[in-house]
Amino acid sequence: MRAWAASVEEVFREASARWTLLAYFALSTLFIVIFALAVNLDIVDGALAGAKLFGKEMDIGGEKIDLDQIVLGFETGFSGFLYGLGTFLALFATAHLVPRLQEKGTIDLYLSRPVGRTKLLLSRYSGGLLLAAANLLYLIGSIWLIVFWKTGVAHPRFLLGGVVILFTVACLVAFAFLIGVVTSSTAVSLMVTYAIFFFAVLLSARDRIAAAVSSEFSANLIKGLYWVFPKTAELGQATIALVSNGAHGVGLAHPFAVYGSTALFGLVSLALASWRFSRKDF
Amino acid sequence: MTPVIEAEGLRKVYRSRFGTRHVNALDGIDLSVGAGEVFGLLGPNGAGKTTTVKILLGLTRPTAGGARLFGIPVSDPESRRRVGYLPEGHRFPGYLTARQTLSIFGRMSGMARSAVAALIPELLARVRLSDWADVKVKKFSKGMTQRLGLAAALVHDPDVLLLDEPTDGVDPVGRREIRDLLRDEASRGRAILLNSHLLSEIELTCDRVAVLRRGRVAAQGRIADLTAQGSRYRMTASPVDETLLAAFRDTGASVERVNGHIVLGTRDLAHLNSLVDALRARGALLTELSPVRSTLEDVFVDLVRTGEGEEKTQ
Repeated sequence: MRAWAASVEEVFREASARWTLLAYFALSTLFIVIFALAVNLDIVDGALAGAKLFGKEMDIGGEKIDLDQIVLGFETGFSGFLYGLGTFLALFATAHLVPRLQEKGTIDLYLSRPVGRTKLLLSRYSGGLLLAAANLLYLIGSIWLIVFWKTGVAHPRFLLGGVVILFTVACLVAFAFLIGVVTSSTAVSLMVTYAIFFFAVLLSARDRIAAAVSSEFSANLIKGLYWVFPKTAELGQATIALVSNGAHGVGLAHPFAVYGSTALFGLVSLALASWRFSRKDF
Repeated sequence: MTPVIEAEGLRKVYRSRFGTRHVNALDGIDLSVGAGEVFGLLGPNGAGKTTTVKILLGLTRPTAGGARLFGIPVSDPESRRRVGYLPEGHRFPGYLTARQTLSIFGRMSGMARSAVAALIPELLARVRLSDWADVKVKKFSKGMTQRLGLAAALVHDPDVLLLDEPTDGVDPVGRREIRDLLRDEASRGRAILLNSHLLSEIELTCDRVAVLRRGRVAAQGRIADLTAQGSRYRMTASPVDETLLAAFRDTGASVERVNGHIVLGTRDLAHLNSLVDALRARGALLTELSPVRSTLEDVFVDLVRTGEGEEKTQ
């Protein structure tokens, strides 16, 4: 436990020293401040009577609109944006954790301590996830508070959207760790993980792609790959659905399969990363 | 003496990615180091010194043979609980201060935060870094980083120290301090395995050494035994004239006058004693008689050249 805590502390110290953490929070803060200053709502009797964006009057047709619906609509749309932003920022902030650890002159210092290699890798992984979770909580929590301050409407489901984002981040960071262990390169690790993210989005249209390809083998391969890779498109939809109406699986044909196969992808990636790391000669 | 570091028949073969080429880094190394002993590992570049140390720490797996620390196989992380290691060319995270570095690595060795915190000032004072406790490591000179590395190796009060080039980049005064510190640690019962290119350092610090050559132990033993030149003695006496020296030669001894003293080559101790008797019988006074020793560097160079010669004739 002491070794785990020390390793996690070091992840945070490294992030702050490398400006990653600062840039991560600065970007989030900038976004939050712009949002807080830009939106001015005129609320009369719990309904929206007027709105200003960057000081400009917005045309809402002269009617009073149900504020709850406005806030829900905003938070739903915004959760989709946060899904992409949060995932990308989290990968950017954590992909270097393994390649840096494996550098010559550094790895010896860690492995000469009485800590098993799998434990060392998992402590770095959990440190990275805590870092990502802290930023997500800051970003989503702040937006939620600002919306509450400006409108008096609070939707806890907006906060829950962060859980799905963190789940996606956990699976993708596990894959980034695997690539990091194999290649010892932050750049390759990031590129391959981002490529997987987008490739998986493309695979969400597997039926249309399979129909367009000429051979049956290719069609089956595409359908097979869909179940191997994380369901990044569907999880984005799930985040939006969770925030908009509290349903985990709205729009998903097989919600449990989507979550399950993505979790399996993350677990297998992490297991392979641990196996390779524990067998590597340094 | 109970060995705390043991290696038997260690072999390590490095293969290229597709297995087309291989290098025998270690070819059957046997080592044994006891508590309170300072053991030096010598050898030219590529002799297998670093590979041996890496196997002892579980950083690299042996192809054959085995190693144990405190009787625990080195594949078990628990074997490293009482080991302090200073790698060559180590790179501590530059964003940590000296205090944070010791705190993190101490806790990674299983120490409580409060216990490490209490120990750090004393440890930094031992390596003369007290004034730099809260300065980031990236601002340290090479010698300071080396001293911090030594403190990190000692932070959890280990019973075994494995040190790879501990005086690398350290000034002469600092080197002497490190030497004294290592002798002090050995006197507390710690076993120390020292890997260094500086033969004079090894000679001054170690009790025993092993000279590695192309993955094998070319020589191993106490420094005094390795550097003793069999039956050569240095004698100072007066008066010594040419008649006496001729009498010595008549017995089969080799005799040389070197800078005011005489170097004698004898068959054995009885032969040496007969020469002393002859000297005294002629009324000469013996003022010094000591075995001639080579330096460790002479022994090392001889062993390495012998190895190169053998390879050329093969």
